[in-house]
Amino acid sequence: MATVTSAAALDAGKTAQQLLGERAKRLQDALQLKQPDRVPIQLGFGYMLAEMGGITRQELHENAAKEQELLEKAALEFQPDSAMSVYNNPASSLAIGGDRMTRFPGHGLPPNGSFQFVEGEYMKPEDYDDFIADTGDWAVRKYWPRVFPELGGLALLPPLGMAAFGHYNLYNLGVIQAPPVVKSLQFLAKAAEAQAVADARAVSSVQRMAALGFAPPTFMGALVEAPFDFMSDTLRGMRGIMLDIHRRPEKLLAAMDKVLKFELEHAIGWCNATGIKVTFIPLHRGSDGFMSLPQFEKFYWPTLKAMQLALVDAGIMPFVFYEGVWDQRLKYLAELPKGKTSGLFQFSDIYKVKEVLGDVMCIAGGMRNSLLQAGTAEEVRAETIKLCREVGKGGGFIMTTGIGEMEGCKPELVKVWVDTTKEYGVY
Amino acid sequence: MSDELVKAIADMQEEEALALTKKLLDGGAEPIAILNACRAAMEIVGQRFEKNEYFIPELILAGEMLKTISAEVKPRLKQSVDGKKGAKVLLGTVQGDIHDIGKDIVSFMLDVNGFEVKDLGVDVPVAKFVEEIKTYQPAVVALSGFLTLAYTSMKETVEAIAAAGLRQQVKIMIGGGTMDQQICAYAGADAFGKDAMAAVALAKEWTGAK
Repeated sequence: MATVTSAAALDAGKTAQQLLGERAKRLQDALQLKQPDRVPIQLGFGYMLAEMGGITRQELHENAAKEQELLEKAALEFQPDSAMSVYNNPASSLAIGGDRMTRFPGHGLPPNGSFQFVEGEYMKPEDYDDFIADTGDWAVRKYWPRVFPELGGLALLPPLGMAAFGHYNLYNLGVIQAPPVVKSLQFLAKAAEAQAVADARAVSSVQRMAALGFAPPTFMGALVEAPFDFMSDTLRGMRGIMLDIHRRPEKLLAAMDKVLKFELEHAIGWCNATGIKVTFIPLHRGSDGFMSLPQFEKFYWPTLKAMQLALVDAGIMPFVFYEGVWDQRLKYLAELPKGKTSGLFQFSDIYKVKEVLGDVMCIAGGMRNSLLQAGTAEEVRAETIKLCREVGKGGGFIMTTGIGEMEGCKPELVKVWVDTTKEYGVY
Repeated sequence: MSDELVKAIADMQEEEALALTKKLLDGGAEPIAILNACRAAMEIVGQRFEKNEYFIPELILAGEMLKTISAEVKPRLKQSVDGKKGAKVLLGTVQGDIHDIGKDIVSFMLDVNGFEVKDLGVDVPVAKFVEEIKTYQPAVVALSGFLTLAYTSMKETVEAIAAAGLRQQVKIMIGGGTMDQQICAYAGADAFGKDAMAAVALAKEWTGAK
């Protein structure tokens, strides 16, 4: 690291366009495992924006103009390289008439509650055969009516495979006029419309932030999950999937092979259509503590690794959220091609991550949320300096909190953190 | 007590364990002996979990086997079997947070280590903890949470316990994915544990249990 420089002096007098160019390059260099001019810092403000703006979290989720105003204000105040608001948006979930697997502030939670997933056994053990035989048909006619109450009418549709029956299938179209089907399709159309509006806002938000000199966040991209988590999160639930490991391992493996195929088709298609060659993969049950290493080797890692290799082959960078602790599993991650993937680490020992994966992938994370909420300025400063020196060494590091959320973080500590990163992160 | 049944349960041989249970009961075995076998098997499962041989799939499957066998046995029981239980622990995931995996593991491990556990579930209001301390009279209160929002809920829960004049009669531990020493001090708890074994060790230390 070079000599210590005053944080404010670094960017003084630069235009927004200059800053955008420098910041985007800084993040890109780190992602490519190169050494940038200094350690980039990305702030995933999340609900902290509601706290700073004195509004409820519900309003933050649902008032896009206010959300954008608060994001811009916070970004200008702290001057990170890149900044984000909350990741999850309830628009399409609300428009579809609610779903059984998410809860948003003001909808099943108090206005200041925290977005949460509600896991359940939405797919039963006896559904495996149908899921494996024809995932799409099962999902539209059985699963959607189960998890989206207003899509119940879709259960009346004939098997989707009948669509391959050419002109004969036209005789089946009458059912689409049945009132429950009509109602379901109307809800589907409303959700699609709401999502299109949210997507357009997300694009305009990135453009507005760029005009202010802030680089696009690394969280952008297609969204897929490790096939095991795909089967767990919104289908079998934690209890169901853990029993499947013992009771029906062959079916679980067969289902994951199917999932891998269509997730890849989706991600590659999305990236090619948008030109954003990044895929975000948040991980859940692969963390230390959920399953044994032999189980991890059999059920979790093969399809996650295959997914990342296929994305890399398609010229796409996986940005993987290694949620939880991956300390016992870092050696598997070291099998990934160098400089082609990136990882956000939540509670793993970040110094050990650097040691094992420093020449394999760009590492994001490092700062503990608890320190920014309950620590002192001295502690934050000392930890930031250590992170810059050790995890930042040689590049390939993006400073962020361990999760893309900063609710409860004290603004004065965040300022110390950002400024110290700029001072001590200079290469 | 059947060693064969203990082994089948402890080794995750579900079908065998259920078949053995039926066979034993049909052969005139005492229902209480079956339950004792379950308890012995659960202790082994707990030990293997501590040694990192077993993980969540095994804890959940063990719980399932226990449930099925109990359902089989209970109608044949003549007297109730309130086994001897140790100190009381009150457990719950704090207000605003609905994560239950870590809490359930802690509950399981405390139970197999002889504690009497009352699990209040998830999203437990502050007032509910206070009320339950008054009626259930636990020696230990264990607060679970995963979200960063839980930091504040934990602090509020501990403050409410103190405001009700109950702080001196309970030891309070916190745990869950994002908890650390910093949050323990912030919340005003007595200790934090990073996993279920730490929770058991703390509860033993505080209650003098062996």
